[in-house]
Amino acid sequence: MKLEKLNVVGRAVAKVDGVELVTGRAKFAGDLRFPGMLYAVARRAGIPAGKIRSIDTSAALALPGIKAVLTAEDIPGANIIGILPPFDQPLLAAEEVRYEGESLALVVAESREAAKRGAAAVWIDIEPWEPVLEVDEALAEGCRKIHPGGNVTFSKRLVKGDVEKGFAEAEVVVENTYHTSFQEHAYLEPETVAAVPGGDGRITVYASCQSPFHIRGHIAANLDLPASRVKVIQAYTGGSFGGKDDVATEIGCLAAAAALKVQAPVMIAHERGESIVGSNLRHAARIHYRTGSRRDGTILAREATIHLDGGAYASESPFVTMKALIHAGGPYHVANVQVECTAVYTNKTYCGAFRGFGVPQVTFASESQIDELAAELGMDPLELRRKNALRAGQANATDQVFEQSVGLVQTIDRVAERAAEPGAGAPEAERNAGRWLYGRGCACMLQGISNGAEGIDVVGASVQASQDGSVLVGVGLTDMGQGSRTVFAQIAAEVLGVTMDRVTVHQVDTDSVHDSGPTVASRSTTVGGMAVYKAAREVRSSLVKMASLMIKCEEQQVLLQDNFAVLAPDARRAADPEVRIPLREVCTAAYWTGFPLMNLTFSRAPDANFDHETHQGNIYIAYNFGTHLMDVRIDRLTGVVEVLRHLAAHDLGKAINPMGVEGQVEGGALIGFGMAHLERIEHRGGCIQNANFADYAVPSIKDRLPTETIIVEDPNPTGPYGAKGVGEPPVAGTAAAFANAVAAATGIRFTSLPIRREDLLEALQGRNGGAAAEVGS
Amino acid sequence: MLLEFELNGKQTRIEADPTLRALDLLRDVLGLTGTKEGCGHGECGACTILVDGKPVNSCLLYAAKLQGRRVTTIEGLTVADDTADGAEDGTEDGAEDCGSPWDPPPLHPLQEAFLCEGAVQCGFCTPGMILSAKALLDQNPDPEEREIEEALSGNLCRCTGYRKIVKAVQKAAAELRSRGSR
Amino acid sequence: MAAEAAGQRMKYLAGGTDLAVQISEGIVDPALLIDISAVEELRRIEENGEGLRIGAAVTIAELLEALRAAEAGKSAESAAIPRCLLQGAGSIGSPQIRHLGTIGGNVCNASPCGDTLAPLIVLAASFSLRSAHSSREVPAEEFFLGPKSTVMEPGELLESIFIPRTHLRGRSAFRMIGKRNGQVISQVNVAVWLRREQGKAHGTGEERPLPVQDIRIAAGSVAPIPLRLRRAEQCLRGSVPEASALRAAARAVQEEIQPISDVRTSREYRRGVTAALFMDVMAEVLEGEGG
Repeated sequence: MKLEKLNVVGRAVAKVDGVELVTGRAKFAGDLRFPGMLYAVARRAGIPAGKIRSIDTSAALALPGIKAVLTAEDIPGANIIGILPPFDQPLLAAEEVRYEGESLALVVAESREAAKRGAAAVWIDIEPWEPVLEVDEALAEGCRKIHPGGNVTFSKRLVKGDVEKGFAEAEVVVENTYHTSFQEHAYLEPETVAAVPGGDGRITVYASCQSPFHIRGHIAANLDLPASRVKVIQAYTGGSFGGKDDVATEIGCLAAAAALKVQAPVMIAHERGESIVGSNLRHAARIHYRTGSRRDGTILAREATIHLDGGAYASESPFVTMKALIHAGGPYHVANVQVECTAVYTNKTYCGAFRGFGVPQVTFASESQIDELAAELGMDPLELRRKNALRAGQANATDQVFEQSVGLVQTIDRVAERAAEPGAGAPEAERNAGRWLYGRGCACMLQGISNGAEGIDVVGASVQASQDGSVLVGVGLTDMGQGSRTVFAQIAAEVLGVTMDRVTVHQVDTDSVHDSGPTVASRSTTVGGMAVYKAAREVRSSLVKMASLMIKCEEQQVLLQDNFAVLAPDARRAADPEVRIPLREVCTAAYWTGFPLMNLTFSRAPDANFDHETHQGNIYIAYNFGTHLMDVRIDRLTGVVEVLRHLAAHDLGKAINPMGVEGQVEGGALIGFGMAHLERIEHRGGCIQNANFADYAVPSIKDRLPTETIIVEDPNPTGPYGAKGVGEPPVAGTAAAFANAVAAATGIRFTSLPIRREDLLEALQGRNGGAAAEVGS
Repeated sequence: MLLEFELNGKQTRIEADPTLRALDLLRDVLGLTGTKEGCGHGECGACTILVDGKPVNSCLLYAAKLQGRRVTTIEGLTVADDTADGAEDGTEDGAEDCGSPWDPPPLHPLQEAFLCEGAVQCGFCTPGMILSAKALLDQNPDPEEREIEEALSGNLCRCTGYRKIVKAVQKAAAELRSRGSR
Repeated sequence: MAAEAAGQRMKYLAGGTDLAVQISEGIVDPALLIDISAVEELRRIEENGEGLRIGAAVTIAELLEALRAAEAGKSAESAAIPRCLLQGAGSIGSPQIRHLGTIGGNVCNASPCGDTLAPLIVLAASFSLRSAHSSREVPAEEFFLGPKSTVMEPGELLESIFIPRTHLRGRSAFRMIGKRNGQVISQVNVAVWLRREQGKAHGTGEERPLPVQDIRIAAGSVAPIPLRLRRAEQCLRGSVPEASALRAAARAVQEEIQPISDVRTSREYRRGVTAALFMDVMAEVLEGEGG
C-alpha cells in the first residue's frame, strides 16, 4: 500500500454508532420487544459436581404464567456446544453436573419474574460428588475423571533450539513460579438474546454477541435445522471482551429451542450473578519459569511449564493453551525456548476467551523473570529488554521471521524518552523513608494478531454504492464497543472518496456476508478492515471507470475525494478549469451503464504453517509489540496503591482512528490493572462467593489509571493501510508493568496476581516481623 | 396504583403496580429502554435516572416513589434542558469537526462531548453516566476533577478506562459555562 | 401513625437500597411494605440546646448537605458538626445510593460495616424507637446484637437519631478502607471522638500537648457488631496523647477487635489496617491543638 495522502484514515473521528448510544436510542438485545414475547430462565445446578438422578418439571409447569419447561430431551439435535473439539459441553445437562452454573432446565414464561419462580420450582435430584478443585488434584493418578477422556483438556509444547544446551552455557539463571487468578469480564450488559420464529420456517436470533456465525452453526446443529434457516443478527452489544463468545451461543441455542417449541419469541437475559457464575472466566494459571543468560545480559534460554485451570468445559482452552505457549517466551530474540502448556478440567466455572487470551498470564511471568534477571545482573530492566528485543529479520519463539512491522525497539525508545521527562512519579530513594514506597516498573510484550494457529482466517465484507452516492458496508465482524464499525466506515470512505456522513455500516447479519468466524484476537481492523478495503476497491474501480468516461480521461487520472470524482491536478493543463463530477452522478451513470456497484468479498489471511509438535513455523500474520512503564506509590500502612504514571507504547502498524486506539489502550489497560491489583474470583468448594459487583472489585472511576498512549507505527503489509490490532495487548503490558513496579517499590517479588491491598500489607508487615511494628513509628 | 409524575418534562399518568421497579416501569411499561439494567443491585449505575434532579438507581426504586416527582431519563435529556443545541454549534466551537457522521437530533452538550471525546465505546453505561454527570453540572458548573470522579463514582464502565469520560465532562462543563455567559 | 401490623409480615421501607435488594433475592419476603420515606416527622434535622436530632428518613445525601451547610455557617462558639458522621456518611456507596438511602436505613440494616454506625457510637448517639404502644431511647452502642440484628421488636419504628450536645463538642473523625477507591464497602472502618482539656493551645518551646479528657473509639466490620473499643480508650483517656500512648492504644485496638476472614478480606488485613486507620483518625482529631 503506497503512502498516499489520507483524508479519513488516520484521523480521530467520532464513532459512527455514537449518536444512538449517547441518546439511548440504540437497541441492545434486552431492549427489543416482539409481540407475544416470552422470557426464559435456566435452572442451574447450584452444586459443582454430581450425578443427575432426576429432573422433575411438574411443579414448575403448574405455576401461573409458565408456558413450557425444556430439558435435554427437548433439544432436537446434538445438545452440544463448544468452540472446538472436544465438543464437550451440553446445552442442557442430563447426566452429570460439572460446575455450579450447569443448566439443567429452561423455564419459559410470560414474564421474567414468573420464569425465575418457575426455575426455582424445578425439582432436581443430584447425587453430589466431591468436586475436583485443584489442577494438581485433577492431574493426580486415580482422580475422578470429569470428562471421559480424563482431566487434561489440552496439552502442547513449543520447542525451539535446545534449552538444556542454552542453560548449560548460561552464566546466570533465575527461576520462579507464578500464579494468576480467575478474572471475570464484567461487561456492563449481561448476556442477552431474543429468538424470533418467522412465519417462513426461519428463525432469527438477536444476540449480544461477538461470534454470530458460531451461534448460527450451533443453533442449526442443536435444533436439527439447516443453517440456512437460521439468521443471527448482532444487536448493539454492551461489551464482550471474549466473554460472549460461547455464552451467547449457549443462550442463543436455548432461546431458539424454546422459541420453536412454544412458537413465540423468547428472550433470555442473564442477571449479573448468573452471568458471573454461568459464563466463562479468564483461565487461572500457574507458570514455572526459568531464564538463563550470559553476564552481559544476552538471554540464552527460556523454559516455562504452564498449567491452566480451565474449569468444567473446554470452551476456548485449546486455543488459549496454544496462545500462552507461543507468547510465553516474550518479545525477545532467544535461541532456545521450550514451553509446555496444559489446560486442565476442574469442577468450577469454565474458562474461555478474555481479552488477552493467555498472553496476560504468561507476560506477567515472563516480565517478572526479566526483572529478576536484571536484578541478578545489576542491569537496568529496560536496557536488558532493549538488548534482547526482537528486531525485524530476527526469529521469534516460533522461529517466525518478520522482515517488517517489528516496532518493539521503537516502543522502548519512546517510553524511555518520555519517562525521562519530568513527570509525576520518578522514584527517588529518599522518598521511601516516609509512609509511601515509590517504585517504577516496566514490561515489554507481544501479541499475535488474528487467528494464527487457531485455524482459517477469513472475513466476509460487502460494500454497496447506491445511485445517490451513499455507501453501505457490511462486515461479518462485530463491534462490541471497540469501534470496528467506525474503522470500517473510515476505510470505505477513504477508498471511495466519500465523506463519513455518506457511509453506513449495517448491523452484522449472518445472511449478508461470508462466515467470518468470531471477532477475537484483535483481528477486526487487520483482517476485517482488509476485507472492507478489498470490497471497496472493487466498487471504486467501477466508479473510476465511469468517471473516466464522463471526464474523458485515463482511469488513473481520476481521483475520488469529498464526494466528487476529480481529474487529477497533474492531468490537466494549468489553464483548464477544475473538472469534477459529484459522485452521485457518477454512481447513477454507472448503474445505468451496467457497472457493478456492489462487491461481496472474502478476505483470507495467510494460513499458519507450522509444526504441531514443536510449534515452530509461521503462525501469525503480524504481532503487536508494546512497552509499558508504570510509577506507583504504596502506602506501607494500608497497602493502598496510587499509580502516578502509566506509559503504554504500542506498535500497531497504523492508527486508523487514533482516538479509537487510545480508547482501546486506556480500556484494556484498566482491565489489566484489575487483573493485577483488584479483581479475584473467590471460590469455596467450587462455588463462587463473590458473584456481584460489590465483592468483585471492578475498577471504578476513582481507580482509573493515568494512562498515556504512545502510538508507534511500523506498517504491517497484511493490514489495511499498514494497520494491526491493539485491543488485547494493553491488558498484558499493564498487568506485568504493575507487578514490576510493586516489586521495585516494596523490594518484594509478588509471584501471584492479583496483588491486592491486603497482600501488600501482609507482605510488608510480615517482612517487618509483626503487625504492630510499623504503627505509630 | 395510579402514578402521576413528570417524566422528561411531560406530565404522565399511568396505572402500575407500586412495587414494580422504576427501571421496569420505564423500560417495559413506558417503552423507554435507554435506561439499562447492569446488575439489579444498585452496584453499577447503568440504571441511573434523575429524580428531582438527583441521581438514583432505578433498579432499587419502587415505582410508587415516583409519585409527584420530576423524573429525567436519557431520552429526556434534550427536552429537560433548554441548553440543548443543534449539531451545527459543535462545529463552531472546536478547530476540528468532531465528525458526527450524520445529522444527529439536537444533542445536550454532555452527549456531544461524550461523542466527540471518544467517551463512548459499547455505550451501555453511557446513559447512566451522562445523567450522573448532568446532575453534577446542574449543581456545580465548574467542577474539579476530584468532584467529577466523585459524582461518577457510582457508574461503572468496563470499556473506556474512564479517562475520556472525565475529559468529556470537563468539555461539556466548559461549553455549558460559555453558553451561560452569552 | 404507627400501623397496626401485629400478625402481618411487614417491613418499613425508606430508601430501599438494602431492602429492595433483599426482597429481590428472596432473603426477606414481607407481605406489606410501609413506605415511610415521605413522612415529614421523620425527615427533619433539628439542632437545639440539647443536641442534634436527625429524622430516620433523612437521606444520606440530605444529611451530608445539612452538615456541610452547618459547617460553612458555624461560628467559633457554637458546637461543631459531628465530623466523623459527615465522613462516614460521605463514604457510603455512591451518589445514587446516598440520594436514596437513609440514615435510619443504614442503622436498621445493622450491617457491621455500615459507615454511620461506628460514628454514631462514638458520638454517644441514641435511637428513638416507637411502637404502637410505647416509645424508648436506646443508646447506639446497645442497639446492635449481631450482623443484621438489632434490639428492635417487630413493628417498632426508628423515628430519629439523637446526638447530645456534649458530643457535638470535641473533635471526631472517621476512616474506612475497602477493596478499591470508588463505590466501596468497608472492609474496616474506625471512628474516634474525643475532648481535650481546656488550656492554651499555643505557645513556644516544649509545651506538652493537652491531655485527652474523654475519648470514645469504635470500629466497624471487625466484629459481629460495630464495636466500642474500651481498652484502647483507656490508653488515652486522661492521658497526654503522646506517641507511646498512641502506639499502646493502636495495639489495644488490634487486640480488642475480633475480625474474621470473609469474602471481603482476611482477618490479618483487618487487624493490620485497623491500627493504621486508627492512627490516621487520631492524627486528624489531634491536629491543631498542640498535639
